[in-house]
Amino acid sequence: MRTGVIGLILPPTFSFLEMMWRICPALAVGCTVVALVPPASPTPLLLAQLSGELGPFPGILNVISGPASLVPVLASQPGIQKVAFCGALEEGRALRRTLAGECAELGLALGTESLLLLTDTADVDSAVEGVVDAAWSDRGPGGLRLLIQESVWDEAMRRLQERMGRLRSGRGLDGAVDMGARGAAACDLVQRFVREAQSQGAQVFQAGNVPSEHPFYPPTLVSNLPPASPCAQAEVPWPVVVASPFRTAKEALALANGTPRGGSASVWSERLGQALELGYGLQVGTVWINAHGLRDPSVPTGGCKESGCSWHGGPDGLYEYLRPSGTPARLSCLSKNLNYDTFGLAVPSTLPAGPEIGPSPAPPYGLFVGGRFQAPGARSSRPIQDSSGNLHGYVAEGGAKDIRGAVEAAHQAFPGWAGQFPGARAALLWALAAALERRKSTLASRLERQGVELKAAEAEVELSARRLRAWGARAQAQGHTLQVAGLRGPVLRLREPLGVLAVVCPDEWPLLAFVSLLAPALAYGNTVVMVPSAACPLLALEVCQGSQFVEWASAGNLKPVWANRGCLRAWDQETEGAGPELGLRSARTKALWLPMGD
Amino acid sequence: MSAHNRGTELDLSWISKIQVNHPAVLRRAEQIQARRTVKKEWQAAWLLKAVTFIDLTTLSGDDTSSNIQRLCYKAKYPIREDLLKALNMYDKGITTAAVCVYPARVCDAVKALKAAGCNIPVASVATGFPAGQTHLKTRLEEIRLAVEDGATEIDVVINRSLVLTGQWEALYDEIRQFRKACGEAHLKTILATGELGSLTNVYKASMIAMMAGSDFIKTSTGKETVNATFPVAIVMLRAIRDFFWKTGNKIGFKPAGGIRSAKDSLAWLSLVKEELGNEWLKPELFRIGASTLLSDIERQVSNNLCLWNKLTRVFEKGIEKSN
Repeated sequence: MRTGVIGLILPPTFSFLEMMWRICPALAVGCTVVALVPPASPTPLLLAQLSGELGPFPGILNVISGPASLVPVLASQPGIQKVAFCGALEEGRALRRTLAGECAELGLALGTESLLLLTDTADVDSAVEGVVDAAWSDRGPGGLRLLIQESVWDEAMRRLQERMGRLRSGRGLDGAVDMGARGAAACDLVQRFVREAQSQGAQVFQAGNVPSEHPFYPPTLVSNLPPASPCAQAEVPWPVVVASPFRTAKEALALANGTPRGGSASVWSERLGQALELGYGLQVGTVWINAHGLRDPSVPTGGCKESGCSWHGGPDGLYEYLRPSGTPARLSCLSKNLNYDTFGLAVPSTLPAGPEIGPSPAPPYGLFVGGRFQAPGARSSRPIQDSSGNLHGYVAEGGAKDIRGAVEAAHQAFPGWAGQFPGARAALLWALAAALERRKSTLASRLERQGVELKAAEAEVELSARRLRAWGARAQAQGHTLQVAGLRGPVLRLREPLGVLAVVCPDEWPLLAFVSLLAPALAYGNTVVMVPSAACPLLALEVCQGSQFVEWASAGNLKPVWANRGCLRAWDQETEGAGPELGLRSARTKALWLPMGD
Repeated sequence: MSAHNRGTELDLSWISKIQVNHPAVLRRAEQIQARRTVKKEWQAAWLLKAVTFIDLTTLSGDDTSSNIQRLCYKAKYPIREDLLKALNMYDKGITTAAVCVYPARVCDAVKALKAAGCNIPVASVATGFPAGQTHLKTRLEEIRLAVEDGATEIDVVINRSLVLTGQWEALYDEIRQFRKACGEAHLKTILATGELGSLTNVYKASMIAMMAGSDFIKTSTGKETVNATFPVAIVMLRAIRDFFWKTGNKIGFKPAGGIRSAKDSLAWLSLVKEELGNEWLKPELFRIGASTLLSDIERQVSNNLCLWNKLTRVFEKGIEKSN
């Protein structure tokens, strides 16, 4: 089911193709679009005019041409259901913060840098052509980070420099030039970057047949940049290529994954095994093997980490503009005076439960971390009351230190778990389902004490077990092959685990919701840190505020966030409890291009 | 013609780690054809320049002295007199670069050119053209006989079986022997790239041919199913550039077979200019092996004559500008 009204914000230097890729899928699934474009580029206005002439549906595409200060205004309009933002990192962060808690969803596509990995088994001349495609042409969106294996460093640099000498720059419409200009702002940005790089001791090489007027900037190759300098971590602007050496493939992966951005990358190697290993290991949204910059509307293109997690193209691009049918529209749960600095820091002051009367129910439950129960750091437990007000048991009160320990344990377990083949993961989920069934009567009686009827409680336990099995079976389906027009060779759409997931469970359906969130996360190879429901309805308000806080806090390193904003979710219904939306959220897509030919 | 390539010692490390990625080379080939087109009056200049690169060729079973004579006349006067006069190029000495014939017809060609008062070289194919599957002794003898008859350029065919079985030393030795048999004549080595199987083999064969002392490397005989294509040419030009970087020797390049239209020839000139630079755009370092190309160029020139009237100025400046 389509989302509704989309607000689209385009960066100052966007290409025609990018604009079409964002507008057309939205229109195709039935959403209407309001686009905010910088005043220097009138092309979207023309597109809107054409769409307005199309007859009975005026207003499906609306374009406002205005400065960047209008962005928060557009984003916080009450009618907009989703904001798609493409542009620079800091603006994306600021937008994430302002939109926390608002009813609009946010999709971010940030940054323009890409990466090229040149190994010593590559065809160096063709890789140099790949560098030209990536950085010194009108097809590439931004600069390039170039990693060259040390044994071919000299050869590669020589060929690069010679190739740069043959590049031609000029006005974009002249068919015989390789690259044009991108405006005064881009020119200033790159001049600042190059000056800073030079002052930190890098070597800068520029060449090419370039007019010397202002917005034209020659192709630039920066090498010997000290790895500790700020330029080495900053995003590389167009048309700069920053080259650094590496010794082994493992080092290359560490260097490549060490940048906070994760947009797109290419691997140049004629050894299939090495190319695939690097391709699978890079944490980016798109990997090309022995090619760079290939794009197609049927292949999902997006990023991860600081490149934002919105997609265009392929099925993922359509899912951006859809939501599962039957789910209500998102509500705004904005609380204007939520103090972000002190949220969640106060320790709830619960009075110690009065002197115990009668037999003590059971030893207090600890925190389950790293495979066993352990006592919480604060050494305090909280009493849990059942529906009739009697004492049901004690659970441990976890704190920040316990969370850190749990996250660390999850990180350590992640490589092993993600590396398990799907059959092993499925086997574990089935074993969990079997264990659940064995303890069915205990679980049902506990639920009953919380106020659920016996029959409903038993049904809930059974459904939980069934869900676990279903997700175990689905662990086998791991991505598929796309056929792309004009390309000889497959494009793989891989579904990779996200990593460590933090899950805070809702209060409704305490067992079923817990299981429904746990199962898909594990099935896709993630490790989880879960906070179960507090079994107290008074906390619903805090959960609502919690959604807003979580969305706000994710702006720090732009993690993908999925919050329910305090709405209840019908966990027993198939679409909401076990539908494809859960599967989508549990894993990350990566497109792997494999052009073939000898 | 300039000095010979003396060749170097065989050094297999120059080819041992080479890999060529076919799809990437294909993409580069498309890009060059799309991006470096030549228009307007510069097109006329380029076409006339292309005429001066042609090795006018006739390699048929039914060649006799009469059609050789016609060929040599055409080589001396490639474009019609009135067209050249209209372009102000009549007295600039525009002839084709050479005439290329079978060894048995070399005498006829030499005689016809002398009668016409023309000093363009006669090139002869040799060594079991086109398949090269004859004994080494007869192949060497063919070269010697052609040189005796008056051919000053020899186009030899390499032994493809040596490339396909990876016998690089044997290939080097053979071409060295061809070099010696040529003596003072210029040696063009035909790699027959359509039969070499992969672009990596093309690169390696080019390097071995240059190391062994070829003055030119040529893409194909013109008789294979696949002759001169852009991807193959890009690989060979990269090999020429690498050899120049390693030794300082400039080796020439000749595509042959399948170049029939004037537009194609312009694309080939663009390719060489793009990959190697302007120094290679001279008859000493670049030839086009063609037979019907000349008539198409003539047709283009006569069709567009009215548009081109600033030609002399452009031609004299050379073809540095392309737009």
